[in-house]
Amino acid sequence: MADAPDFIDLDRHLHLRGISFDRRPRRLVLLLILAVVVLGLFNVFGQRPEHIYANAPQAQLELYAPSHLRGGLLYEARFTITAHKDIGNAVLVFSPGWNEGQQMNTLEPVPLGQGSHNGDMILTFGHIPAGQKYRFFMQFQVDATNVGRRRADVSLFDRGTKLLTIHRTLTFYP
Amino acid sequence: MDIVLRGIFVFFFLYVIMRVIGRRELSTLEPFDLILLVVLGDAVQQGLTQDDYSLTGAFLAIGTIAVLQVAVSYANFRIPRLRPILDGEPIVVVQDGRPIEKNLKRERLTLEDLAAAARRQNIAKLEDVQWAVLETSGTISFIKKPDA
Repeated sequence: MADAPDFIDLDRHLHLRGISFDRRPRRLVLLLILAVVVLGLFNVFGQRPEHIYANAPQAQLELYAPSHLRGGLLYEARFTITAHKDIGNAVLVFSPGWNEGQQMNTLEPVPLGQGSHNGDMILTFGHIPAGQKYRFFMQFQVDATNVGRRRADVSLFDRGTKLLTIHRTLTFYP
Repeated sequence: MDIVLRGIFVFFFLYVIMRVIGRRELSTLEPFDLILLVVLGDAVQQGLTQDDYSLTGAFLAIGTIAVLQVAVSYANFRIPRLRPILDGEPIVVVQDGRPIEKNLKRERLTLEDLAAAARRQNIAKLEDVQWAVLETSGTISFIKKPDA
């Protein structure tokens, strides 16, 4: 049999003996990548929106928005206030996590008033008659550098009385 | 700082991907592979620089990848024990005109692939080949028999 070419070790390169020919690390890495892809399919990394409800005798607040997001994503949060009883002056109070590290692109329809109270953002919508719905949209873009978890609660008030709160946490992936 | 960290992550992620997908994929560049390469480049760019259109951002991203590339190649040169991990090792796929089925199967290479690679080097028959070695780059080197 002819000599093997230079730097070719038949035991290693022909019979594939040696740690670098062990296929287990390669399979493990591929499995890990596959696991991340499957987790992505199951919305672990966002950005599929979900329905969250909070109920009180006077009203129901529905929030339809994603809670898992990634840097740079554009997304929408839709709020639906259903007044079971007459709401004299509906006010939504947003915790700072709603605005931190995100660009707020649009508020539709434009609220009657906007302000701040104790670090929270306040939007005033006015009167909602009993049995009617008020739908409100906010569009955001996540800052590319925004990573981590933030509280993003929203509460519905009527003339200074808290009716209900949706507690949620936003998770931002890089 | 963020763009440098993203550059480091993308570099090592691509490095690992290139090592685990196997040499067969590296050696072929069919039209589909070419399109895939462009799509991959676009996906990587967006993850790397995101909405940063600045020259500084481009400098940081390219600089990070260049420095890491030099560092990896220096480590490869200076530390022989790292070479099999960083670059892989060649694999003998033909010995004395006889294809090594086990090694071909491991690299997802068919006899047709092997024969096509041989033809590209003006070798009509595999029996004329003394050694064929699948190199770490994904190309196959052929050494003909002395009498062939």
